[in-house]
Amino acid sequence: MSSNRDRGRHADISHVVARHTFGWLAAGNAVGVLLAALLVWPALNSALGSWTYGRWIPLHLDWQLYGSCALPLVGVLLAWCVDVRHPQAVGQARIALGAWSLALALGGLSWLSGISSGKPFLEWHGWARPLLPVAMLFLWSLLSAHVWWRRDQFSQAGCAARIGLLIVLLVVPNAVHWAAGRDVYPSVNPDSGGATGARLLASTLGIVAIYGFIAEVLGISRKNRRAWYWGYFLCSVLVCIAIEHGDASHHETAQIVGLATLLGWLPLAWTYFGGSNGEPAARRWWAAAFGWWAALVLSGFWTFLPGVSERLKYTNAMVGHAHLAMAGLVTCANIAVLVELRGLKALRHFWLWQGACVVQVAMLLALGWFEPDHWDDVFLAARWTQAIYAVRLLTGVALLGVSIVWWWQSLRGEKTENAGAS
Amino acid sequence: MVAIAATYGYFLLFAEFALLELAKPWFSGELALRPLLTMLCAGGVAGSFLAASHFRLDRFQSALAGGFAGCALSAIATVFAGRAELWLTIAGVGLSLGWTTVTLSAGLRSVVGAKRLGLWCGLGTGLAYAIVNLPVAFEATPVVQTEISAGLALLGVWAARNMHPGSVEIPARERLNWLLWGLIFLALVWLDSAGFYILQHTPHLRAQTWTGSWILYGNAITHLVGAVVAGFALDFQLITVTAGVAMALLAAADLALGGAAGTFAGARVLYTAGVSAYSVALVYYPAWRARPLLAAALFAVAGWMGSALGIGMVQDLHAIPAWFVGIAVVFVFSSLVVSGIQRRKSAMLAAMVIGVFGLASGKTRADDGMIARGREVYIAEGCITCHSQYLRPNVAQEILWWGPAQPLTERLTETPPLLGLRRQGPDLTNVGNRRSPEWQRLHLIGPQLLTPGSRMPSYAGLFEAGGSRGDSLVVYLSSLGPETIGQRMASITKWEPSANALASAPNERKARQLFIQLCAACHGPEARGDGPLSAKLTLKPPDFSHDAWRRIAPDDSSPLTAITKIIKFGVPGTTMAGHEYLDDADVVNVARFLSRLHR
Repeated sequence: MSSNRDRGRHADISHVVARHTFGWLAAGNAVGVLLAALLVWPALNSALGSWTYGRWIPLHLDWQLYGSCALPLVGVLLAWCVDVRHPQAVGQARIALGAWSLALALGGLSWLSGISSGKPFLEWHGWARPLLPVAMLFLWSLLSAHVWWRRDQFSQAGCAARIGLLIVLLVVPNAVHWAAGRDVYPSVNPDSGGATGARLLASTLGIVAIYGFIAEVLGISRKNRRAWYWGYFLCSVLVCIAIEHGDASHHETAQIVGLATLLGWLPLAWTYFGGSNGEPAARRWWAAAFGWWAALVLSGFWTFLPGVSERLKYTNAMVGHAHLAMAGLVTCANIAVLVELRGLKALRHFWLWQGACVVQVAMLLALGWFEPDHWDDVFLAARWTQAIYAVRLLTGVALLGVSIVWWWQSLRGEKTENAGAS
Repeated sequence: MVAIAATYGYFLLFAEFALLELAKPWFSGELALRPLLTMLCAGGVAGSFLAASHFRLDRFQSALAGGFAGCALSAIATVFAGRAELWLTIAGVGLSLGWTTVTLSAGLRSVVGAKRLGLWCGLGTGLAYAIVNLPVAFEATPVVQTEISAGLALLGVWAARNMHPGSVEIPARERLNWLLWGLIFLALVWLDSAGFYILQHTPHLRAQTWTGSWILYGNAITHLVGAVVAGFALDFQLITVTAGVAMALLAAADLALGGAAGTFAGARVLYTAGVSAYSVALVYYPAWRARPLLAAALFAVAGWMGSALGIGMVQDLHAIPAWFVGIAVVFVFSSLVVSGIQRRKSAMLAAMVIGVFGLASGKTRADDGMIARGREVYIAEGCITCHSQYLRPNVAQEILWWGPAQPLTERLTETPPLLGLRRQGPDLTNVGNRRSPEWQRLHLIGPQLLTPGSRMPSYAGLFEAGGSRGDSLVVYLSSLGPETIGQRMASITKWEPSANALASAPNERKARQLFIQLCAACHGPEARGDGPLSAKLTLKPPDFSHDAWRRIAPDDSSPLTAITKIIKFGVPGTTMAGHEYLDDADVVNVARFLSRLHR
């Protein structure tokens, strides 16, 4: 049984995670608003000197990916591994998260300075390339040390699971460093220039695995659905292994069928998370996350299909799809995770966030759908495209405003009511 | 003929290629090879003057055979040489090659006579170039090339032993003095070496010039034909015309290297023929004069020093400055005009070079370094955010607009591939085949000036004084797909506006609106060629109210279609850019509007 002091320290660590998460969410959204404004008023670029539109994009992408999206998962790891009996546990977590944020901040500086690998989401290059891997290794060392200190607390299986995870996690910083190299490039769909079905399937299964694992750690999964969830996961992995991993086209049946297996996750995810017995305040975030998940899987599969891909690839529809994944699914799921970790009280402006997201994604998808017939309007800023970009800007401002409120809430220390005192 | 072919073949295949390749493992980097080149050059000059000072017609055969034997031995020795020994063998190569060349030149007239001297020189030189360009020799490993070269030298020994020199007839009169000829040949060798170096060190140009059996066979035939024709001309005492034509061809080719003509593909033939023509003249002139010292001076100054200067210039400047080509052209043609013969033809050739390719078209740049730096700028500025570099082979619209598609495997060889995710602007896979460097520069500085409504930021800062980032970016963009110009032209030729667009009713208001938005910056609001950007253009836009169509023949059966092609695809190689993304109805509408303006 955890003491109140231990629960308090857990909450404190989660609270620090929330601060960093919402800080980066606000920062990433602020850059997003700047980008949206630059599309409406390109002349603003002149006021930015050499920091023009293209240099800000990596900040928007990577601060969201490695900041607001990744840090709640770091929070789960800390909750699972850190020995809160250690008097310096909170301070150590603070340092690890600070190192992570410092890496992101310096990364941003490097991208603004024009130091970039040229690979979207993996722009770490030059002196900035080792920053995040080093922060990750620091975190890994902290987690390992705490697992070692806590080994007497764990069951044999619990200890083995943690050691197994730590071994897997050791690969991550090396993988990030390696993948950021310019001479490394994944397989490409020759008919679209984008991801292959196998790649999309693998990355989505990665999300399934991460959130399935989180549900296990947080104890919010339905126990009687566990076998279905992980059984289907195993089948999906086998399918993923079986289909072509080279530069395969979306016209190949195996790629389409492989990606179609993702549709099975719609009922499975609902039943696995649907009976959440966790924090009540987290439920509506889980429900929203599921809604976004359903939209993501369906739209992802639809946009991959022959004919649709030809129409939507390289258009704003794919930008909308990415926003759907990040602002919709991952943000909602991560807020639910933070609430479950008891680092947050119920967050305000739930509906404003969801509404702004829905409008933005819908507008971008609509713009993308019409783009192929009206490239001249897109290139020459016809009024209707300006109007859609203006709506995107407004919804972006709304999302930024909400994320600032959330950050403010986390800074003020608004934790869940049943969390102990620090 | 065999002796000439052996000497020239040895020089081209071994001294210019295989020798440097064999030395590379011992000396890292291009610049590290410079001392070796200097040694080769010094050996060559020394060998030339040594041969001149020791030349005696009665010992011609043995001297020549000895020179060839030295060439063969030093070539074989290079294969087995270590780093230290390389210095000696390279000096030996230079010494024996210089000796052989001067000896052969000085005694050639005594062997073949004056009447057919040009033809034999042409055949020998052409044969050497043809052999070297045969895939079996060109694509061989350096060691095999060395063996072939040594074989050629041994063939030279055999030829020398079978020569029977007679008496030498001293030419009666010189049209130009020897000093002027030395300088003319210096300019020619300088231009050739600089162009050759750029071709060799620029992947896409190298691919266009020397990749594939058909291209190599084509080069071999062009060389042989060019050399034989030059030889005939020389026998008719047309040395000034030969030198003038060679100069015109080389200058045109060197200018085309920088993209003034959009691509080097067409200029490859000019370059090849130009090299053949002047090479034959370079062999012929000292042989015709039959004076060893003159031959030595000519080969030392024009041959060895011209090569070193040309290569050195490109290594340092990474370009052949257009002003240099201009000065060279003016100098050579002035010198030829001074002779008082073929004045009109020479002047016409000079005008053709300057007029067609345009000296003001900017520097000719084709070096890898500049392109690589430009690519870094492209990455740093995040151009990939808004521009893809990948054309989907099954999407006809984008192939027509920005094509042709390039194989994925080719795109993935880049580090990193810059395929892109989004098109806020056009795809740039082949932007080098549809936008001139001048357009790129203007567009990067002020995108909205050329394309009002464009969401692209201004990159004027890249062109600020003291930096080369902007120029590098322009060079990089110009390097994207210029080799596909042939396919693009074929695609443009095939295209016609849809029948619906042609049948649509004219909409003057919309046409004027599009013209003002997309064309007026250069052409002016009333199409008088007085737009705000016109003053910055090398080739001023025409005044449609007075000027005749530049690119539409008076007897063109469908001038409207011709105008629509220009509006949609621009004029490749010029600053007139296309508007590929406009639909057919808009293009036809603007074309009709322009037709009405035109008087």
